[in-house]
Amino acid sequence: MKKLVLVRRMSQAFFLILFVYILWSTTYPLKGIFPPETFFKKDPLLVIAASISERAALPGIGFSVAMLLLTLVFGRFFCGWICPLGSMIDLCGSGTKERRFKWRNVKLYALAAIFISAFLGVQAAWVLDPIGLAARFISLNLIPGVTVIFDKAMAFLIKALNYQEAMYDFYRGLKSSVLGVNAHYFSHSWAILLFFVLVCASALITKRFWCRYLCPLGGLYFLFSRFSLLKRRVSGCAGCLKCVKGCKMDAIKSDLGDRKGECILCMDCVYECPAHGTRFSFSGPGQKSARDGISRADFIFLAFSSVFLAGWRSPKEHGARVIRPPGAHNEKDLLNKCVRCGNCMKVCPTNGLQPEILESGLRGLWTPHLVPEIGYCEYNCNLCGDVCPTGAIPRLSVAEKQGTPIGLARIDRSVCVAWAQDKQCIVCEEHCPVPQKAIKVYREEVNGLTVFRPYVDASLCVGCGICQNKCPTRPSRAIKVTP
Amino acid sequence: MSDSIFEKFSEKKMSRGEFIKWCGVGLGGMIIGGSFLKLASAEEGISGGRPGNKMKGLHDLVVAKGDDPYAITTKAIEGMGGMGRFVKKGGVVLIKPNIGWDRAPEQAANTNPFVVGALVDMCFRSGARRVNVFDITCNDAKRCYEASGIARVAKEKGASVYFADNWNFVKANFNYESPMQGWLIYRDAIECDTFINVPVLKTHGLTGLTLSMKNLMGVCGGMRGIMHSNIGEKLAHLTDFIKPDLTVIDAYRYLKANGPSGGDLKDVVDMKTLVVGTDPVLADAYACKLVDRDPLTVSYIKEAVRQGIGSADFSAADILNA
Repeated sequence: MKKLVLVRRMSQAFFLILFVYILWSTTYPLKGIFPPETFFKKDPLLVIAASISERAALPGIGFSVAMLLLTLVFGRFFCGWICPLGSMIDLCGSGTKERRFKWRNVKLYALAAIFISAFLGVQAAWVLDPIGLAARFISLNLIPGVTVIFDKAMAFLIKALNYQEAMYDFYRGLKSSVLGVNAHYFSHSWAILLFFVLVCASALITKRFWCRYLCPLGGLYFLFSRFSLLKRRVSGCAGCLKCVKGCKMDAIKSDLGDRKGECILCMDCVYECPAHGTRFSFSGPGQKSARDGISRADFIFLAFSSVFLAGWRSPKEHGARVIRPPGAHNEKDLLNKCVRCGNCMKVCPTNGLQPEILESGLRGLWTPHLVPEIGYCEYNCNLCGDVCPTGAIPRLSVAEKQGTPIGLARIDRSVCVAWAQDKQCIVCEEHCPVPQKAIKVYREEVNGLTVFRPYVDASLCVGCGICQNKCPTRPSRAIKVTP
Repeated sequence: MSDSIFEKFSEKKMSRGEFIKWCGVGLGGMIIGGSFLKLASAEEGISGGRPGNKMKGLHDLVVAKGDDPYAITTKAIEGMGGMGRFVKKGGVVLIKPNIGWDRAPEQAANTNPFVVGALVDMCFRSGARRVNVFDITCNDAKRCYEASGIARVAKEKGASVYFADNWNFVKANFNYESPMQGWLIYRDAIECDTFINVPVLKTHGLTGLTLSMKNLMGVCGGMRGIMHSNIGEKLAHLTDFIKPDLTVIDAYRYLKANGPSGGDLKDVVDMKTLVVGTDPVLADAYACKLVDRDPLTVSYIKEAVRQGIGSADFSAADILNA
């Protein structure tokens, strides 16, 4: 019977490794075996909430509906066997003592709030969605962190070995295959790390604290697994209550009855039962079960509070205050469709796409925006749209993308060395990727020196920001892109 | 199962001594980690530049024309007396093409990949132990290496193609006054037995044309934009510092407008020409003539001639038309 627990653990390890692998391979030239949106497309909370708030079914919504149908048959297998956040929480809480709280409805409140605000036109699933939460941590904290440490260690080792050729070539090989040329940096990534650490550390209060009480995706699967066909059946019970005490979801009541919808099929109770009397099957007498869930009064209270929540910043159309990725002009669409998974920022080759902190208000938290002083939008690249799981950044061909301006460059003539100091420069013109050059120059002879003074042709500028990125004036750049 | 750290604190299981011990472990870890980081990002070494081999070919310049970039490269080098004159047996060769832009070979913003391929082949045939190929690019390095075709062709021929590391620079030290004093130069550009500079001929807003001397900016680190002010003197000194042994100017395609990045095929002219020389200034001057430009209007050529780093007078030079 221990086999089942072992199989479950192997499944968890497999999906966690797969999850990390997919995110790791979300980088130019996108040669991963699985598409980067694999996990997000199968997350019904994200997909359905975004579909409702956008009033349009997202492509690939069938996968998440299939997940719900599978839950109707098998129960919350996702939480116990697949969820990468759940696996990390299991690792954190492996030694925690069992404590019980009466907060299990909180996840349903969160779920109801998400769906009510979705109906009101605001997608809030990203706030607590476990897949996005785990993906952000892995893409924007873990992978850059591991890369930096590995890079530094190798640099140290190679220097210490006096640039030993074989060692150095090995490192160069890693750099051009798995490591990437430069370690990426993400501004305010501490906030992402903090949120993730708090969620994982909650497993130190009691095992699977987050999954039991807070996770809205768990809440959604809870609703569906109440009717699941695969059920725990007990025969020949000796009354030791080991299963009750050991259940990491607190899903077994002390009279051995089910707390409906809470079981995540971890199989610990099957393994621990000394009488070998517990098994999971589709037929046979089930355990009596209690009804838990939200009362009508709770629901009405929630509906009202959600109206308030959704209305605190009206989702009317307004221009972006930050530079959005190519094609994501409509701010309302972006905020509704974006699930803050971090894929676009992970894949951006120049590291220019950065997570917002509060640049366009709380509703824009962790949405992508271009910061040209960190990295510019590469002219021939359209990867951010390719990896976006919800179409918040549209999938554009390279030609379409090149014809989609994301901002406009402006020159500050009081800072520009060619205008203010009659010096030679035009680094901006040199780098401008538009074939006909969106930055043009006036030639002027000053004291025998030809000075080239740049100006922007607004009809050609795509707002890629390479001019601002390469502009050598400090502390303030002489050319800046605005949305 | 063991208790977690949370349990230790919450159940007050940790004694004062234990607490102090853990603090000590943490502090020690930080000190070790910190000193390791400091070592890993230690100061760059100082270099006085390449001594230069003063190797000569059979002619001052060889100009080859033909339909196949690989064939004309072979022909031009043979005209110079063969690669064996420039490559030592068991030596390390650096080939420095222009891989600056995320552009395809037809767009003529980067060096033709088959010119590079031919050079790699000839170096190995002349007994080179290792041929390095790299450039510090303007666009994203991975995209440039792939789009240019250079990484693929050079790797096929057995060259070591790699990306520059931001920790492997040396500081330039000149024995005369120079605006390039202290500039960061990639170590491999200094520590090679033969330096082959392989620029592509194209227009450039500031300097008019980018040629071999301008191509050397690709081994520089730091904020390269600053080099644009007083660029003539800076590039002349940089050329003197690197002392390229062989200059191969790829004029197979010529980007006649909107350089150095280009992008529009209408701006590309087929010239099917290659210029090879040992004097970078002379080769650059000849390339100017190819596109009907007075070499002395190009600031870095003018400055290099003034400082005696090379000659722009190809009327007196021995030129072979292969």
